[in-house]
Amino acid sequence: MATNDPDAHINLSKARIMLVDGSQHSLEVTAQILKGFGVLTVHRFDNILETQKFLKQRTADLLVIDPSIEGGAGYDCVSELRHSGGPAATMPVLLVCGHVHKADVMRARDSGANFVVAKPLAPAVLLQRLLWVARDKRPFVDCGDYIGPDRRFKFEGPPAGSEGRRAEDLKSPLGNAVEPNLSQDEVDAMIKPQRVMI
Amino acid sequence: MNKARFFFPDVRLKRLLREPGGITVGEALVRADDAIDGMRDAFLQSIDQKIAEIGALGQDDAFSATGRCYTLSNEIYAEAGMIKLIELSDVAHNLCDLLSAGGKQGASAKAIRVHVDAMRALRSPAASASGELRRAVLSELHRLTAHLATHAHDDVA
Repeated sequence: MATNDPDAHINLSKARIMLVDGSQHSLEVTAQILKGFGVLTVHRFDNILETQKFLKQRTADLLVIDPSIEGGAGYDCVSELRHSGGPAATMPVLLVCGHVHKADVMRARDSGANFVVAKPLAPAVLLQRLLWVARDKRPFVDCGDYIGPDRRFKFEGPPAGSEGRRAEDLKSPLGNAVEPNLSQDEVDAMIKPQRVMI
Repeated sequence: MNKARFFFPDVRLKRLLREPGGITVGEALVRADDAIDGMRDAFLQSIDQKIAEIGALGQDDAFSATGRCYTLSNEIYAEAGMIKLIELSDVAHNLCDLLSAGGKQGASAKAIRVHVDAMRALRSPAASASGELRRAVLSELHRLTAHLATHAHDDVA
């Protein structure tokens, strides 16, 4: 199922989605876009207090939140949700950001959100990210300070100077290669190249 | 250092998406676009109100409402972009850049007024009908912004 296949079927009729945004217009239009996608249950919140009250008692299938609400309280809201330990703690979260700086993106990543979507919100992008979230294959990580999807999606190994915490992290420096490098043809003969679809 | 725990939570959304029935992706996108079109007038009204509010806040030379102006221009950026008023969205984004770079001293009141004037010009019926005119407004805005940045010291004095 991909957003570039217009004939693919999606069924969001039973999905319960939470929207949190300080702007009533943004809330309204995002809710209308989701209804266009076939979502029947959309819970809207224009403040963090009501959002937190809801999350203490109930859960949803997706949280879409503008982190800039109430001066950036949305980031803390996501982080607190991840640390809450309740049934909602692992729910997928999309951060929808307007004007952002690089530091905001880092903060978004470190809050425990699954993905960041930049405003202005286009329906095709929102649907694509919704499908990404649903099919996100990253494990969740709980390392005390951070709880959320694994942030190390580039597989660059453990941070410099650290031994790493994964079983598969190499504990000692790699030695020199003992065989000549494989040519591209030899690599292709071992692994069939696959077309990547998003 | 804490030992990290890795686990795979159940994602109900994934299961729901695969249930029989539903609609096609193409249909979903058409319905969503229709929903945005249906809200176009409300968006335009909201954008005009926000431009007016920034204009009123920017009257004061000792500009102290930077936070509120930033919020409003951020909302204009998102709302205008959603209904494909690209140039207006760009101006609002530039204003966000300006306000966030201004720090505690706030941004230059003149620079804010120039942006407000550009947004008002882009909302005029003439600019709405002419892409050439909209590009001319943007070009003039960039010229004035560069001029104000060069003469920032004169502005403070």
